Amino acid sequence: MKLFTLDSVCKSFAAKTGNPTRVLNDVSFDVATGETLGLVGESGSGKSTIAKCMLKLLRPDSGSVVFDGIDVPNARGAELSRFRREVQLVFQDPYGSLNPRMTAGELIAEGLLVHGLEPNGAARRRQAQHLMGLVGLDPDNIDRYPNSFSGGQRQRIAIARALACRPRLLVCDEPVAALDVSVQAQVINLLQDMRAEFDLTVVFIAHDLAVVRHLCQRIIVLHRGEIVEQGSREEIFGNPRMPYTQSLLAAVPIPDPVLAQRRRTAVQEA
Amino acid sequence: MSLAPAIRMRTPRVKISFQGACVSLLIALLVFAALFGPMLAPEAIYRSDILSSLQPPSAAHWLGTDDQGRDVLWRVIVGTRTTLLSAIAIVTAYSLIGVAVATIAASGPRWLDEALMRVTDVGLSLPSMIVALGFAAALGPSLQSAIIAQSITGWPITARILRNVMHQTMEAPFVAGAHVIGVSRWRLMTRHVLPNSLDVLIVKWTSDIGGTVLILSSLSFIGVGAQPPSTEWGAMIAGARGYVSTAWWTVLAPGIALAITSVAFGLLGDMIQAWRDPSLRESR
Amino acid sequence: MMMQPNPAGRPAPVPGEAPLLSVDNLCVSIRVDDRSVNIVDGVSFSIRRGERVALVGESGSGKSVTARALMRLERRMKATGSIVCDGRDILKLSDGEMRRVRGGTIGMVFQDPMSFLDPLRTIGDQIAETLRIRGVSRRDAERKALHILDELKVERAAERLTAYPHEFSGGMRQRVVLAMALIGDPRLLIADEPTTALDVRVQDQVLALLDEISRSRGLSVLFITHDLGIVAGFADRVMVMYAGSVVEDGDVYSTFAAPRHPYTRGLLDAVPRIDRDSDRLASIRGTPPHVFARPQGCPFHPRCDRAFERCVIERPVLRELGGMRVACHRPEPEAAR
Repeated sequence: MKLFTLDSVCKSFAAKTGNPTRVLNDVSFDVATGETLGLVGESGSGKSTIAKCMLKLLRPDSGSVVFDGIDVPNARGAELSRFRREVQLVFQDPYGSLNPRMTAGELIAEGLLVHGLEPNGAARRRQAQHLMGLVGLDPDNIDRYPNSFSGGQRQRIAIARALACRPRLLVCDEPVAALDVSVQAQVINLLQDMRAEFDLTVVFIAHDLAVVRHLCQRIIVLHRGEIVEQGSREEIFGNPRMPYTQSLLAAVPIPDPVLAQRRRTAVQEA
Repeated sequence: MSLAPAIRMRTPRVKISFQGACVSLLIALLVFAALFGPMLAPEAIYRSDILSSLQPPSAAHWLGTDDQGRDVLWRVIVGTRTTLLSAIAIVTAYSLIGVAVATIAASGPRWLDEALMRVTDVGLSLPSMIVALGFAAALGPSLQSAIIAQSITGWPITARILRNVMHQTMEAPFVAGAHVIGVSRWRLMTRHVLPNSLDVLIVKWTSDIGGTVLILSSLSFIGVGAQPPSTEWGAMIAGARGYVSTAWWTVLAPGIALAITSVAFGLLGDMIQAWRDPSLRESR
Repeated sequence: MMMQPNPAGRPAPVPGEAPLLSVDNLCVSIRVDDRSVNIVDGVSFSIRRGERVALVGESGSGKSVTARALMRLERRMKATGSIVCDGRDILKLSDGEMRRVRGGTIGMVFQDPMSFLDPLRTIGDQIAETLRIRGVSRRDAERKALHILDELKVERAAERLTAYPHEFSGGMRQRVVLAMALIGDPRLLIADEPTTALDVRVQDQVLALLDEISRSRGLSVLFITHDLGIVAGFADRVMVMYAGSVVEDGDVYSTFAAPRHPYTRGLLDAVPRIDRDSDRLASIRGTPPHVFARPQGCPFHPRCDRAFERCVIERPVLRELGGMRVACHRPEPEAAR
């Protein structure tokens, strides 16, 4: 079943000089209920712009964005409210993505408050504490501000905040790119656990192909605002068809000196 | 999982510089004078005593007496309340107007933002002193009209600065995050954008008090503000200007009080800025 | 077993050849609230001529500070110990002598090339500057700059010399910065996360270029990175830093095949791999300690599954162990052969 559909989405930005730059050119894809879809590409590939169009943070110039029957760019009123409840976001920067003047508890429970899901303050607080426990944070720290948490812990707060309204779709925009290696693995594991726990559909945007291979069942490769190739994990990583995908995969360093050496000799011979 | 313990240790130890101590002491004195001066002052300073008029500084009258024979030092101290309270009222009033205009501009549609900013431009291009003068003259010369005039002419700079800061804040990822979670426009502005933009205003509010004290007294001095029997410093100088050559203390005392006040609040503003902004603190 | 004094475990030098760089008990400290905190806490290592060494660590490990200390770039910090490069002790040089070492004996490239380049001057001018301040004539310096850009495979190099930094892509800028570092014919190149800000394909090109140049010039490289993939593909040797000290030091093949320090093991298990499917990543619990809040004893013990009482009390010293150096009381078992 299709949960999210993008159909021939185009988006341009005004450039300082001359013609507007095309960031998305005729992008169409579906997200099926329950799957984890990876959007990969280098900088300038348009992957973050897609995320913004999906989240109604940007309005596409043309094309349609539909979530479960809701026409996203034109959603208003009750439809918009349902969209805001069911589609949530976790994004890259663990330092800028949380309002520094709100406590962990306020941040996590904000969705419950604004959607009127839990009008009782004490009950909201209990739910926030429950969510903190779920994402591996100490519920006793509920009244702390974001700056007293480390990067990985902030990303856990961001995840708890996104999960508070029990969303159906989670958009993750480079959620682990800014984290240390040892912490990155914790957050990836947490995302996997939460995906199972909450029965989530996930759109995972990243430049790190190894992380995408680990998390996603289906992958879309983007280059300069266009979809180059899409397919299952096995297809993209096992047998990439397009030269661009091949070059992208070949450039990812492998943490194994023997394989790296083998690959280097292969390149030199070719 | 434990909290990052580093944060606690990084809290900067407050180091009080010599300048900081002086400024704090001056501000404390001014506030004390404003709060308790009128209660402590002898009743004689409100009555005229022509026999002891224009006496030079002496043990009985440390800063001499004015043309009505009233103690100049006590009148300056009593005047602190009028002057300072008026200035605080003015700055608070126009800051609130500024916050309102900036918030509407930053959160509203683009045409409204443009319109409000053009109005602000007009406000900025008018010489505020002259406009305040006109307003005060139209309302009739009194302290109240000087306060009202300055309150409605002072907001454009605040509005412009705050609106720009709010636009910057609105680019922050957490604002997009709040959008996605579905907060209302009102909550977005009041809980997310405004609290993270007000830092700049705290500094401006403080520094502006010093400047406002000066303008207020200037208005009184040229006769559109507080009128002479008042203990407002500008009015005192205005009342005494005929005696500059013969009884310099009558003019000098309120003049020095004015200078000290405006400098002290200006420096307090700088100190708050340095304290809020770690990059400035580092460069010391 | 008798406890060995500190520098005991340095790699055995090749007979008859002194290492290009040898760092002994380097401490870099910063003053905070009237006390001094060691960001780098007793680091000893050496780099041979032509050797490529990767320095790996997470945030707060002190890897960048170590690199910058080698160039004496941290003015607000105090460095003690000794750094001998090409026979001279860096920490004892006068500022004037140090200026000749920078860009002379040692070249350096940073993560963000744009902040390193002057936006108002042509790149030819900037590349040539390193030589100009050493008294080389303008013509010779420019000829050399052109030569270096050719070596770095910059197309139409002669035209590019008159261009300004903003006209270049990220990868090209990093080449320009590399050219600036290489034009003084350094013996050692310090590269501080030079490819972190680049896209993978550009990163691959820059790494291949670095590889080629270091081989053809016999250049020693100290490569600071957090990416274990880059280490595996580029370096001969890897040093892992944690909380201000080197915890493991060995050649890449043995270290990646069988790391002896639990932290190195944990890092390797925590990275997802592009070349195979995985169900779940092994993760190290907790977070790297902040510089000002490093644990007593072994700094890794709160996150370590192998820790026992001794780890809490006594900080392990870097010691030789089967051809590698490891700072651990209870190292991982040796590889089964």
